[in-house]
Amino acid sequence: MRLERLPAAMAKRLAELECPDFKTTPWVEGPSLAERRVAIVSSAGLTVRGDRVFRGRDADYRAIPSTTGPNDLLCSHISINFDRTGFQEDWNVVFPLDRLNELAAEGAIGSVAATHYSFMGATDPVQMADGAKEVAGKLKADNVDAVLLTSV
Amino acid sequence: MSALGHYLEEEGIASVAIALIRAQAENTRPPRALCVPFELGRPIGPPSDAAFQKRVILAALGLVEAVKQASLIVDFPDDDPREALDLAWSPPSGPAPAEAFEAEMRMLAPLYAQSCTERARSTVGLSGLPPAEFGAYIAAWLRGENPASPIDGMSPLLALRFAIDDLKAYALEAAIAGGARPSSKQLGDWLWNQSACGAAIRALRERLMAGDERQQAVAAFFVPAVRLPG
Repeated sequence: MRLERLPAAMAKRLAELECPDFKTTPWVEGPSLAERRVAIVSSAGLTVRGDRVFRGRDADYRAIPSTTGPNDLLCSHISINFDRTGFQEDWNVVFPLDRLNELAAEGAIGSVAATHYSFMGATDPVQMADGAKEVAGKLKADNVDAVLLTSV
Repeated sequence: MSALGHYLEEEGIASVAIALIRAQAENTRPPRALCVPFELGRPIGPPSDAAFQKRVILAALGLVEAVKQASLIVDFPDDDPREALDLAWSPPSGPAPAEAFEAEMRMLAPLYAQSCTERARSTVGLSGLPPAEFGAYIAAWLRGENPASPIDGMSPLLALRFAIDDLKAYALEAAIAGGARPSSKQLGDWLWNQSACGAAIRALRERLMAGDERQQAVAAFFVPAVRLPG
């Protein structure tokens, strides 16, 4: 996002948003991308139709099976200050499952995870830590070794 | 989002964040981030552009093959091509002005009749035409036709002026049916800002003011000055 395109107050708030202060940055190495199993983890407050919507700044997460169809993915993010028309036209703008499946078929990535996950991005990231660790365990059980993190 | 990268990576899973706000990525220092210049809400970029979306995804996921470093933050170079305006797009709209106007005329008919009964009078009558006829005449103008005058001995333009005078009276009398006592401002706000009748009159004024002197002279009587923009 080019912040200069936003109202000055909003740009300032976004640029100066308090972020967790991580003392170190972990780094995991692995095989080439063509051998990796990829999952999407979104902070867009995504939820499968019929599942619990995010009602506010919930710190937990929702699972999104790879069998989910575009008509069954909803966005319950609390913020009204981001575009939703892109997602309305094409879910890949936020949740690029079709693209990952195509990249797997083309051999650019190894495979696509059986399940993807979403958090609510407006939540204090520190509160997401436990949920993130739980998600990591589920991803490892699915042999995922690369995660595409998408925000809105 | 970049914080999730820390958490997942600490658990042994490589991650790449697609960051919409570079400053936040810089502050959180995730293992890997691709900063994209796209609008908030569009992390993968343009909708319905699979090729572009794949370039974004591969630019991001390709970072898992980079050599280890403190925090790898890379910028995606291209803007979202869908930010360009589509000049062929037209917003959804209701019925054409003439249809909306005629529908409102029909909707107002019972209210106008009720109002006439309640007040035992009407101020409609300058054109000498009943509402259905002056309504049809105005609708013909709205459709861009140049209808013949429905009034003997009167030019089409003058007939339009009186038809519009009658229309204003018809609508405003219908609006006071039922015994309420709205202020003139309330009534004016409704007619000029909310009603299809008012929109029809404004549209005809605009059309005729772009015409010759005779048309402009007549159109000057359509909309009160206090209801003109600026």
